[in-house]
Amino acid sequence: MRPDQSTAAAPIAGSGPASGGHPVLELEDITRLYPGSPPVRALDGVTLSVQRGELVAIVGASGSGKSTLLNVIGTLDRPTSGKLTIEGTPVAELSEGALAGLRSNQIGFIFQQFHLLEAVGAIDNVATGLLYQGVSRRKRRQLATEALKRVGLGSRLGHRPTQMSGGERQRVAIARAIVSDPAIVLADEPTGNLDSKTSSDIIDLLRRLNDDGSTIIIITHDQELSASLPRRVTISDGRVVGDSRSEPTATPSDSQPTERVLS
Amino acid sequence: MSSSASMARSSGGNPVRLRSKMRLSDAVVAGTQGLRGRKARTFMTAIGIAIGIASMVAVLGISASSKADLIAELDKLGTNLLQVQAGQNVFGESTQLPAPSPAMVRRIGPTQNASSVSELQTDVQRNRFVEDRNGLDVLATEPQLLDTLEGSVATGRWLDEGTATLPTVVLGSVASERLGINDLDGTPTVDIADRPFAVIGILNPFPLNPDIDRAVLIGNEAAETVLGAEIVPTSIFLRTDPESVEAVRAVLPRTVNPADPNEVSVSRPSDALEARAQVDQNLQNLLLGLGGVALLVGGVGIANIMVISVLERRGEIGLRRALGATRRHIAGQFVIESSMLAALGGVIGVALGAAVTVGYARRQDWLVDVPLEALGLGVAGALVLGALAGLYPAIRAARLDPAEAVRPA
Repeated sequence: MRPDQSTAAAPIAGSGPASGGHPVLELEDITRLYPGSPPVRALDGVTLSVQRGELVAIVGASGSGKSTLLNVIGTLDRPTSGKLTIEGTPVAELSEGALAGLRSNQIGFIFQQFHLLEAVGAIDNVATGLLYQGVSRRKRRQLATEALKRVGLGSRLGHRPTQMSGGERQRVAIARAIVSDPAIVLADEPTGNLDSKTSSDIIDLLRRLNDDGSTIIIITHDQELSASLPRRVTISDGRVVGDSRSEPTATPSDSQPTERVLS
Repeated sequence: MSSSASMARSSGGNPVRLRSKMRLSDAVVAGTQGLRGRKARTFMTAIGIAIGIASMVAVLGISASSKADLIAELDKLGTNLLQVQAGQNVFGESTQLPAPSPAMVRRIGPTQNASSVSELQTDVQRNRFVEDRNGLDVLATEPQLLDTLEGSVATGRWLDEGTATLPTVVLGSVASERLGINDLDGTPTVDIADRPFAVIGILNPFPLNPDIDRAVLIGNEAAETVLGAEIVPTSIFLRTDPESVEAVRAVLPRTVNPADPNEVSVSRPSDALEARAQVDQNLQNLLLGLGGVALLVGGVGIANIMVISVLERRGEIGLRRALGATRRHIAGQFVIESSMLAALGGVIGVALGAAVTVGYARRQDWLVDVPLEALGLGVAGALVLGALAGLYPAIRAARLDPAEAVRPA
């Protein structure tokens, strides 16, 4: 699969996270066709590997297939062909129920529209992230409180979404995504509904969570945003047309070599 | 915290055996969240169910109260009173009871008390100058009659051994009204067969024997001596041992008229009251049916609102799927939500229905009887109806493509 990756990625991959590690996410020749005549090739032979602890931007213009890619990675959609592996588990073999379990335990979602429940406060919104794991309510709320503190909302625990600013709402959504400590955090245009100041605050927050060890994939059409991230995968017409890394941000992944050797 | 958890995950073998699961209590909470977020809509929708349940509970409650009242009245009046009357012979002609029949009846073992009345072929008027068709009967009877019927005197006194031989009369409650004699002030008299009779008492109504209410009563002896009438019993009233009512009833015709038992008719006046308790059944069924229609309309209303809710909450459904909810979790959430909505209507309806029952029964001076089963069934029925109404919307919600649902509409 290495040869499929773009030339820009190759030299860094040799010395960085891709070398001999345990990829948290692997896509091999993923294709997604939408029925029609002729069928729409939303994804066309995408091969991609993400190591634990990476912070990756998947960037592309609208209609490039990045949303389909997000849905496939998030297991909300199944690929037409190709192999998707999350944490060593081939997703194609999983039943609908097991897939839901995988989402509940391994994937945290952050959406552009936040998708918060308006009837309940921040703490219960975040606790929803653990709702489908069978965790007791008390434990859920306790973990939710910790997660809210991590995103800097320790003083807004009881506030309802309607009583919060856009940036605060997105922080609640981020807390919800990380509360179950998932293998991958998927952020779909997380700053799409926010002004530039708030946007950079949110990106800083995601960066900090990444420094703490979270693997984060941000889907965006914003070139400027993607340029600020350590790894950029560029999508166009359903294909990966670029995969580049900047030097300094390979460090967090480098800090875990023993773990990879063991596994 | 995050990295250590990750390590545990990667070294702990295959991590994706973890299954998506939800506690029932959490499912109920999730089901009510949607309702709490839309209070006005929830209330308005629940009202539809409440009206249906309330009308059904009120129908059951009011008819139960009315029945309870009749039964209480029956208990008070007793069901051990029998009435023997002359019937018709095989040619359809009226017959007469044999003269010794009252004595024969008294000889039946379980008979506690018996008295006869004889209708006289004459009229009663306020005085000799009036010629009204007042529809009142003149009955000759025995002093025991009042005890047998367990009646009471409103004013004055009842016939006794002495007054039964004199031209004195006691008025039934309706008779006193029609004759315009409401009290005994000024020692009123009435005119029977152009002879004045002194009114010595007025009776209270007999709920089981309205015939007596419409009669004026004189003693048998007075009828014979003053009016020169021949005493032929037309009715015999008897009280029996309550355990032996049917047995006595069976032997009465042969006892009263051994020669022609078929010409004797025996009835139990309390049967009429019991029949009244049953008569309401048809009307009650009709009203219950109407309540059922209201309930059905309420159910359709809930289904409607739930479909709209599913459309509005695509984002929430997508989010929950992304957070690990299975299709079944989503369907369950909406079925629970719709059941809760209907159950809320059920509780409101049951309370409303009970209040209407109590209010109506109080106004009618009835005993209040709110059937507890109706209350339980009301809430349970609403719950089931809500679940049924929520089924289709729930399936629609569960079928939503999660990838589509999380996108902005």
